[in-house]
Amino acid sequence: MRLSVAAAISHGRVYRRFGLSPRSRLDLLRNLVTALVRHERIETPWARADEMRGYAERLIDYAKRGDKDERAMRMADFWLTEKDLIHKLFKVLAPRFQPHPGSYTRMLQIPNRDGLDRAKMAVIELKGNPLPPLVRPRRDSDKTLLNQLLKGYRQDAQRAAAA
Amino acid sequence: MAVLVLLRSPLPRLGVLLQRCWGRLERGLWPGVFGGQNPPWGPAVAVQGPVLVPQGINGAGESSAEPPSLLESVVWMAAPKQRRTIEVNRCRRRHPTKLIEIKRNIDVCPECGNLKQKHVLCGYCYAKVKEETRLIRMEIYKKKGGPFNAPAVETVVLYEGEKPTEKDEGKQIIERARKRPSWFVQN
Repeated sequence: MRLSVAAAISHGRVYRRFGLSPRSRLDLLRNLVTALVRHERIETPWARADEMRGYAERLIDYAKRGDKDERAMRMADFWLTEKDLIHKLFKVLAPRFQPHPGSYTRMLQIPNRDGLDRAKMAVIELKGNPLPPLVRPRRDSDKTLLNQLLKGYRQDAQRAAAA
Repeated sequence: MAVLVLLRSPLPRLGVLLQRCWGRLERGLWPGVFGGQNPPWGPAVAVQGPVLVPQGINGAGESSAEPPSLLESVVWMAAPKQRRTIEVNRCRRRHPTKLIEIKRNIDVCPECGNLKQKHVLCGYCYAKVKEETRLIRMEIYKKKGGPFNAPAVETVVLYEGEKPTEKDEGKQIIERARKRPSWFVQN
């Protein structure tokens, strides 16, 4: 029975490799999380945004515990390198996301980067930010068949209720 | 984006192992391989001296058609025997797997009318939003007064002629000196 994994097989590994070493990967993601908390919307390569998303959401879950919690404060102290953002996290973001059970970030793909590498880029933002919205929710036009039928049904219901 | 990874793989050790095995085979120290026969790659004719001997020194004894360094080098390199015809080349070059795939996921953005991929944001609309975000952030920075003073309150962006409502009670107001764009809905 094979007790160790062979090299160059990575079945089931969920974490991507970034940077020069595992510590460097964490530093990279930490910088991204700090930038997200500061600017509330950042544009970065898609893989990094995807990796960072989980860490950012868990950090907000920790922040929801309140700043009296020792573990929450230690997490925020590690993950946010700029210490004025710890105040913002506990005073602004935790109350903002208190009613929501999860999924505090939105990640959308952007056209590939303009440089030589044409990297797949994504924009990741915290929901409820004050910046202009990236995507306008589109309702179907009123002229579609289904919407016309529904409109007719509503009018019939109103006439029946009025009569 | 180049990813530098330090791989601790057994592959360099494998290479070193192979080199050692080959060395022992060459020197005939591994008789188990060929059942004790003479190693077949020993020279049939013992030639003293350098293998690549210039023709003039050896004289007329050797026929000039003899290829040099045949006896020492056992490594035969692969080479094509025949020229590939243009028909065969065409079959290989134009095979469907080698052609560029056509994209069928290109649509028209309903806002601006530019082309966009279905799962990607429209480039033009995103550039508009990015520019406006940049201007808003400049206003925020001017208000902050320093590099690391993130406000501990929410922010609200108001355009010309807009007053803060009672929902924007404890929030920091950012004023933008222009008319509200149609795609930035206030709520």
